[in-house]
Formats: sequence, C-alpha cells, structure tokens
Amino acid sequence: MRSRAILAAGGVLALTVALGACSENKNTDSDVDTDRVASGAIATDPKDSMGPAKAVEGAAKGGTFTVIRQTKISHMDPQRVYSFVGLNTAPLYARFLTTWKDDGKGNVTLVGDLAETPGVNVNKDCKVWEFKIKDGVKFEDGSAITSKEVAYGIARSFDPDLAGGPTYIQEWLANDAAFDTKWDFKANKTSLPPGLTTPDAKTLRFEFAKPHCDLPFAASLPATAPLPPAKDTGVELDNKPFSSGPYKLVKNTVGVEMLFERNEHWDANTDPVRNAYPDKFVYKFGPNAEAQTNRLIADGAEDQATLGWNGVDSSLVAKVAGDAGLMGRTLREPTPSAWRLSINTQRVPDLSVRQALNYAIDRSGMVKAAGGDLKVAPLTTLMPPSTLGFKKFDAYPADIEKAKSTLAGKTPELVLVIGDDSGAQELGTQVKNDLEKAGFKITIKVIPADSKLDETKKKDNPWDLYLDSWAADWPSGAALLPVLFDGRTIKAEGNSNTSYINNDAINAEFDRVLALDPAAQAPEWAKLDERIMKELAPAVPLYADVMFVMHGSKVGGVYIDSIFGYPAFTRAFVKQ
Amino acid sequence: MLRFLIKRLLLGTLTMFAVSLVAFGMFFMLPRDAVATMCVKNCNPERLERVRVELGLKDPLIDQYTGYMKGIFVGRDLGSAQGGFCDAPCLGYSYTSSEEVSDIFARVLPVTLSIVIPASVLWLGLGIGLGMISALRRGTVFDRLAIGFSLTGASMQLYFVGGMLMIIFVYTLKILPVPHYTSLWDDPLDWASGLVLAWVALAFLFSAVYARLSRAQMLETLAEDFVRTARAKGLSKSRAYGRHALRAAITPIVTIAGLDIGGALGGTVITETTFGIQGLGRTAVEAVRLGDLPTIMATVLISAVFIVVANIVVDLLYAVIDPRVRLS
Amino acid sequence: MSLSQIGTDAAGVDATAVPVAPQPGMVGRSPGRLAWARLRANRTAMVSGWIMLFFIVLGLAAPLIELLYGISPFEQFQDKIANNSLPLGYFGGVSGEHWFGLEPQLGRDIFIRLVYGLRTSLFIATSAALLTTALGIVLGIVSGYLGGWIDGVISWVIDFALALPFLIFALAIMPTVTARFYGPRDEIPVPFRIGVMIFLFALFGWTGTARLVRGQVISLREREFVEAARASGAGLFHILFRQLLPNLWAPILVSFSLAVPGYITGEAALSFLGIGVVDPTPDFGVMINKSLSYAQTDPAYLIFPGVVIFLLVLAFNLFGDGLRDALDPKSSR
Repeated sequence: MRSRAILAAGGVLALTVALGACSENKNTDSDVDTDRVASGAIATDPKDSMGPAKAVEGAAKGGTFTVIRQTKISHMDPQRVYSFVGLNTAPLYARFLTTWKDDGKGNVTLVGDLAETPGVNVNKDCKVWEFKIKDGVKFEDGSAITSKEVAYGIARSFDPDLAGGPTYIQEWLANDAAFDTKWDFKANKTSLPPGLTTPDAKTLRFEFAKPHCDLPFAASLPATAPLPPAKDTGVELDNKPFSSGPYKLVKNTVGVEMLFERNEHWDANTDPVRNAYPDKFVYKFGPNAEAQTNRLIADGAEDQATLGWNGVDSSLVAKVAGDAGLMGRTLREPTPSAWRLSINTQRVPDLSVRQALNYAIDRSGMVKAAGGDLKVAPLTTLMPPSTLGFKKFDAYPADIEKAKSTLAGKTPELVLVIGDDSGAQELGTQVKNDLEKAGFKITIKVIPADSKLDETKKKDNPWDLYLDSWAADWPSGAALLPVLFDGRTIKAEGNSNTSYINNDAINAEFDRVLALDPAAQAPEWAKLDERIMKELAPAVPLYADVMFVMHGSKVGGVYIDSIFGYPAFTRAFVKQ
Repeated sequence: MLRFLIKRLLLGTLTMFAVSLVAFGMFFMLPRDAVATMCVKNCNPERLERVRVELGLKDPLIDQYTGYMKGIFVGRDLGSAQGGFCDAPCLGYSYTSSEEVSDIFARVLPVTLSIVIPASVLWLGLGIGLGMISALRRGTVFDRLAIGFSLTGASMQLYFVGGMLMIIFVYTLKILPVPHYTSLWDDPLDWASGLVLAWVALAFLFSAVYARLSRAQMLETLAEDFVRTARAKGLSKSRAYGRHALRAAITPIVTIAGLDIGGALGGTVITETTFGIQGLGRTAVEAVRLGDLPTIMATVLISAVFIVVANIVVDLLYAVIDPRVRLS
Repeated sequence: MSLSQIGTDAAGVDATAVPVAPQPGMVGRSPGRLAWARLRANRTAMVSGWIMLFFIVLGLAAPLIELLYGISPFEQFQDKIANNSLPLGYFGGVSGEHWFGLEPQLGRDIFIRLVYGLRTSLFIATSAALLTTALGIVLGIVSGYLGGWIDGVISWVIDFALALPFLIFALAIMPTVTARFYGPRDEIPVPFRIGVMIFLFALFGWTGTARLVRGQVISLREREFVEAARASGAGLFHILFRQLLPNLWAPILVSFSLAVPGYITGEAALSFLGIGVVDPTPDFGVMINKSLSYAQTDPAYLIFPGVVIFLLVLAFNLFGDGLRDALDPKSSR
C-alpha cells in the first residue's frame, strides 16, 4: 500500500524531467567580443564636459527602474564607496570632479563632471592641478555646490572612521601611505588637508610633492563627491547620503530596499553623462543570481523594468543562450576583472617552475569549469583587453609536454589555497588536475572564502598558489601593473602584490612609464606586460569575467560600463 | 505554581548565561579577522591595527565579554566609528553593516516570525489532523495514504521541495509572486502570497512527525479505560474522543512542538536560503562567515531565548492540558 | 534544521508494553521472535529493508564497483563538455560509458560519484546515529534511574544543549577545529572533516534519545522486577544495564532507525551550507546542492542524485516505521 507514496514521489520527479527541456546539448561558440580593444581620451574642449547628455534613441522619461541584487551595497557614503555596485550606483545620487563618457563598447572619454574640464595640469609636471567648478550645480536642498564642498568631501575621506573608499588622492596629498596619521581630520574639521586649497568658490587646487599624472582618472571615483560640512552626519551618512546627483535617496530599508526619487535641483544642462530618464530607481536586495534569472526569464509584470545585478546564473546560461528571445534581453561584454593564478615568488623562486605552471594550465578546460564561455573569456596577458593600449600575446601557449620538459624531471610539491565557496572549489579541482598532469604535486587547502583575500595579502602567507582577481580603477596599465607587481610597495599585510615579486629592473621601468604623459603611457604598459610575463612569470593569467546580465522586457539604455565592467544606469530608461 | 515558575525562570537565566559564555568563547576562537575583511583595497597594517584597538579587539577577553553583557543591560559607548552611545539593550554595532545590531534585528526578526509562526500552525494542524483521523479510521485507505504522505514529506529535503515549488508555482505557472517579505501590517495579502511557499514546504516536511506521533498517541489513548468509560456513560463519540482522548494524547505533542518551534526560529537558515528571504537565519550565517562578533552573539542569544522560553511555556501548558501533571 | 526531532520521534512507543508475557497455552516464543515474525509479515517494511540493504552493500562495495566500471570518481571528461559548460549529448550526457551522465563544468562521472557519495553519507549517518544513541542511552538511564541532583544536572545540560542553535555553532566549530589541528599548509584530510561532522551531530543530537530513555526509565524504575533486583543486592551497573536496558531496546531501536535518515538529511544540510564535506570528495549534500540549480538546464544532474537520496531516506523511514509496528503491537494496525 505504501508503495503509493513512492509512486507519488516518482510523479514529482517525473514532473521535474518534463520541466527541463530534454534536447541535445551541442557545442556552439558565444558571440562575446572578447578581443575588443579599448580606446580612450581625455577631453580638452570644455564643451565636451557640458550637458545635457546626448539623448538615447527611443528613450522616454518616466517610470520606475528596478535593480535586484543578492546582498546590500556595503557603503552608500560617496567617500566610502568602492564596490562595483556602489561605483555604478553613486552616479545616481552624487556627482564627482570628473567622469567617463562611455559608449559601453570600450571607447571612453574622460570629461569634467562638477568640474568644467577634467583638470588643468598647471605646470605640466603633474604636481599642481586645478579644477574649476561649473555654475548652476546644486545639492538636493537647492544650495549651490562650490569648490569648498568638494574640498570638504575630500577632507573627510581622511577620517579613519570613514574607511572603505579609495585612498589614492589622500596618499598623494599627504605623500604618505599612512595619510590619516599625517593629517587628522577630526582635529582639523575647519581646515583642509595639506596641498588642497580653494583659492575661490569656483577653484579647487591640488599640490603634490610628487608628480601624479593619473589625478584626472582618480578624480572620477565617487570619493570626490561634494558635501556641505553642515550635512555631514559621520558614519550615518552611509544610510542617508546627501545628494548632488539627479536622484535623492528618499527611503532606505537597509539590506531590503532603497528608493530614489528625482532631485528637482539637478540641472541636466550641467551634466554631460546622466540622462536621468526614469522618475524613480528602486534597489531590492535578497534574491540570488539564480532566483534573479528565473524572475527575469518569467518577465512577470513586476519585473519587466528590472535588471538582475548578479548576472545570469551559470546554471541557467544554457537556457538563456538557447532562446533568441531571452538573449535579446541580455547584455554580454568582457569586463576588466582579470583572474590569475598568483604564484608566491617568495616560495617559488625558480623561474622555470613558474614557467612550467604557465605551460600546464589549459584555458579551455578552465573556461568550462568556470561556467562556460558566456561567463568568462580566456586571458593570456596580465592586463585584460579593456586596458588602454592592450596588445594580445601568449608567452606560454598551453602544452603539457612543454611543461614537463621545462620542469626537467622536477616534481614540485605546491599548496594551492582556495576559498570554501562552491565556485572556487571547482576551479581548485580543475587547476590541481591540470598541474598534476604536468608532474606537479598539488595540495588543495580550503580556507573560509571571506578571509582568503586577507590571508593571501599577508606577506608571509604560507601558500604557493592562489586564485586572484583584479579590476583596475581606471583603464590604464598604471592602475594595474605597478599596483600588482611593484616590489617596493610590499608590506606586512594588505598587499596587492600577492606574487611578492620584487625586480629592480621592472621597478625602474614602472617609474619611467609612470612619469610619461598619460596618452604616451598606454603602449608602454602593453610592452611591459609582455616583459613581466616573459622574464618573471609571476602569475598564470586565466580569464577575464564576462558580464552576462539579463533585464526585463521594458528596460532600455542600460550598458556595461567600460571602466568596471558592470551595468551602468546613466542612460537607463523604462520603455513606455 | 509560582514556585515552579520562579525555579524555571532561574534555571532559564542560568542557561542563558552559559549560552552567552559558550558563544563568546566559541566565536572568539573563530579563525576570522573581521577587521581585515572590512578593508577592501589599500589597507596598511597600521590602519588595520588601529581599527582593531578601536573595536576593543585588543582588550582582554574578559573585558570584552563583560563590556558586551553590560551593554545589554545598561548600554555603553561604542566610540565615534560605531555611532556613539548605544542605549540599553545594546546588542553592539555590526562590524560589517555599519548599523546597530538591534536595528538589524528589528528588521529581520519579523521576517523569521512571519515564516515560522504561520508555518508551525500549518504543520501542527496538518500533522495532528492527519494523525487523529487516521487513528480513528485505522486500517482504512485514508490511514495508509496519510501515513504515506507524511513519510514522503519526512524523506524530502527542504531545499529540494522548495526549489521544486518555486519552479512550478512561480516560474512555470506564474500564479504566485517570487517569495519575498512584506510587513503584515502594510499589505496582508502580499505578506501571505510572498511567504506561502515557505509555509507549505515547511509544513510538508514537519507535519510527518506530528502525524505519526499523534496517531500513535491517539491509538493508545483510545484504548484507555477512561475513554471507554466516557463512551459507556453515553457521551457522544465526538465528545468522548474530542474532549477526553485528544486532551490526553496531546501532551507529548506539545513537548515536541515547543522544541521544534523554538528551534525553527533559530534555524530557518535553509528555508531562508532556499527562498531568498533575508531573516534571522541568513543574517546569522553571514555574520559567522564574516566574523561579525556582535551580530553572532546577538543571534545566538536571541535564538536561545526562544528555545528557553518555549520550554517553560511547554511545561506550563502541560499543567493546563493534562491535570495529571502537577508542577513541582 | 533542528535536531531535536530526531529520536523524540519514537516517543510514541510505549516501552512498558514491550515485554509481552507469553500467554499460558501459547507456544513459548520470545518477544524478539514475535517481533521478527510481525516484521516478516509486513511487506512494505521488508521491501524497504531490502532496498536499504542494497544501498548499504553498494556503498560498501564502492571500490569494487569502481574497478568493474573502470572510471574513478575524480576523473574529468572535459572533452565531453560543451563550451556552455553542460555535458554534450542528450539527458546530461548519459551514454553506455557514463550511465548517469556527467557533471556540468568539471565533467566527472555521476554514477561512480553517487556510489561513493552513498558511502560517505551512510557512514556519517550511521556513525552519528550510533554515537548519539549510545550517549543518549547512558545519560538517559543514569538520569532517569538515579534522579535527584544528577537528574537535575543532566536535565539542565539537555536544556542547555537544546538552547544552542545547531547550524550557527556547526558553522563556527568546523573552521575553528580544523585550524586547531592542522597547519596552514596541510590539506584537511577527508576523514578528519567527516569525524568533526560526526562529533558535531553527537554533541547536539544525543538529547532526544536521552529524554526518551529518561522518560521510559522513570516509568520502569518502580516496577517489581527492578525492585526485586535491588532487594537481591544487585549493583547499580547490573540494574541499569542488565535489568533496565533490555526493556528499552524497542524504543531505542526505533529511534535509531529513524535517526539514520535524519542524519543523512542533516549531513546534506550541512554540506548545503558549505560546512560539511567539500569537493572533490563525492557526497550527496554537495551533489544535490549543486545540481538543484541545474533543474532547468540539466535535469538529469538533479534527478539521479535526487532519486537516490530520496529512496534511501524513504527506505530507512519506512523500515523504521515497520520496526516500530513490529515491536509495539499495540500501535500497529
């Protein structure tokens, strides 16, 4: 009699089978343009920095645009924003000194946002920079934005209580990595950090001890957003930022929902990049990538003007890719998030071993293990293709026999550390199997995913290999190669140079290229990339993430930004 | 009665104290560095060290513990980086989400309660109902089907059932919205439609225990003399079974129900993960993963309070339901 | 979820009813034989018993099956995986060579991983059930028989253990313990991880059996046969384990047989949260957890492990139920 229960259960499972399409899975290549090359410029004509932003074809004003995301945004305070979602959300409610005009295909122009131009290199030595603030720019309460509020915003980023944001400008002003000990914000709230002055209400002036040609780029990060001192609520600003952009945050249920409504005092004529078509933006937090994708595939009434931030879940990629109608509602672009297998050169000093590691990794298998070619694109260079001046090369084409002969009979025993999240474990298994085929002996050490990053950033960490990713803060080799491979910056913990490589010739080369004019730097970085790979092999480049996101049928104007490789909303609209 | 209550409350307090000690000791040993986790790029050792001092992580363990406990009863000053003075009952300031832990709880507790309370009503009703009816109609087709149904439920995995329910009702038939939480007071209909799948899935899995238990209890009680006497006295079937038999049969069910409901409040992680709802369970798991000590402490303490209180309530209910139980 | 239900489940069994005194005039059959006869007559229980046995043998013989099947659970067949990371061909890559198809992404053989997963799951569940039952019996008997302050202390410890949220503690204990015992460069051996899981279940799971046993002992301790043993000067150990324990076997057996599927589920739940067994070790929880999201694109991946774990748990539950009916004729139909 009870076998009926089994029958009933079998029925449930049979339903499952019926739900999943039972068709043959064939090999097809994705249409992601993985080799597109970025081009970039810095606008010299002030007209480029003026609004209004170019109209988007077919766009209409109005409607509510929704973004769903698994977890909340760690910081909303512009001075603390540094996560990708934060960086691409901040333009809704904050304006910066400079910003990028971006076609979403890798072609970018740096323009002034609050500033009339993207900075004036006063003495042409990159030590003194001036920015003139536009007329007619206002906060959400209607008060005018002057250079004083921009300067105050930069000053408060020195406050150790407000950690989390980028630290480029602070370090450059203080000429010291420990900038917050050099200048104490809390004790000097009415003054400005050393080197930062406001000669008048329109002018902001930076004076650095050393040349910093990248300042116009660094100024495009949200940390240059303005704030009137009277509106500074300290750590509380994180939940209720004071708007200078086209929207203001009117309701924030932390971790659940954020509602943005129009800031009536924002003037489109001052803004070169923001179209601000929707009347409202809503961020909803909770559903994971899988749930987001399922919702968007269903395209229910509540989700038609919605974008799923966490992308198409790898388990559903095949379903979406196999349906032209669904593919029409996706965006797929390579991103600057480049993954590499870092080799701890302190522990693996033998160059031939590092080269053998490079020969041994088979990227086609890696791509499959990482979720397929709509999720990642293979990479053989340290800089991803989105970097200005990128040149493709493969210093160590995958070849097991070559790996074996490079090892010359050695069987190095190496420890690969990975996080305990499920995706990482598959990659770890993949790497181990590849390397063992070439004669390595690999031990996989699993540690908590959240602490993996911090542990590998400690100089004396006990591991040989780890999976690392880096996304540059602007598309220049300057924001990648010296950050990751300049050995003079190595400290006890919190290192970005997780290969712990320190080579005098390469370090000198970094200094030489960094002093060049930004436009002249681009091809030099590409050359240096190849040189580092050939001479030092400090890591095995693996793949760059592909951003594969889906949205509802009424979403228009969204693009994958060329700087960070995430969905951007400056041109977004709701189809009426 | 009063003496019993006082004794139970004292023991409960002792339990809570022990739980707080164990939780603090346990999570202090956790190989996590919340401070380093908080820092994304560009951290230098001096800055990390200073944050550690500021958060009190360099103080002796005893001071950290007493400081935390003191905060619960009288409040304490957490310093400027953590929003200043925190009023009693101060559960601390989350290292990772820049707000007071009590604010987090004000948000996630209603969510978990909204999942567990209706679900437990459903599973108790379903389970006891099925069990009682199959006991009264023992040996019939209904009896066997009911037991088969409950065993199937007990053999399923919550995330499997939940995932299937979502694929069927949300993504394919589209008759239910994606599971989500709305406040009951804002929109009762949306509240129910957003959580109904979670209730059903939990009820399907949990009712099995109650169906089997109540069936067995009922069968046993039906054979007891006092029920037979009641019937012989001329009491109607429904009165004899409903009033007398049910009452006696329900005592052990109450015990397990109390434990299950108390436990479920602290253990909805899997339900919440499956349905993508942010409640107490997921908050706790994320806190452990990130080493967010104040949030961990608070979740452990709060779920322990639920269980301890549920236990006391169960003991009191015993006395109300079953006159044979005398409290001492 | 909460482990409290494991074990307490069997509370419906009335132990006092078990030592059925042979009626005069009947052939003298021991209660055990009677129960066995009743079990034999229960077709559902027997069928589920055979399924159970089949799974156990399959798990035990895993290395032998690997030898016959010719594929190791760690071997990757990535040339049979398409660029979109799903297996090439029909129904998740099912073929004569790969009976249950291949895993997406890494391309490992599902059949042989299931066989090994069965082994891991059954081992963890059976050991955990044995351990918790043993702990529960000892503490329950002692607490119930001796009463007084010892009972007070044990009862309090039970309340205390119940008040600790299991999953949160499991989440914290696993990394702490592994960090204590192994250096940063050592791989955590699979048996150690499994050991910690069993330990975790034991730590939190014994309370159910202990409560059950304690309750039964309280109702038995004033019975004549105990009094008689006491009067004849039997030692405490003798009374506890020679006189009382044999009368408790029925509820304990039932609680044990129902605890095993409980721990199979529990183990899968731990792995679902990333606490338990980790890749590349084959395991049900990990497999189900991963395959669940492929329900729409690669249903075969979900169905094979899903059906096996469901059948396994159901077989245990049905058998446990049948056992209860056999041991306790009063509640059987």
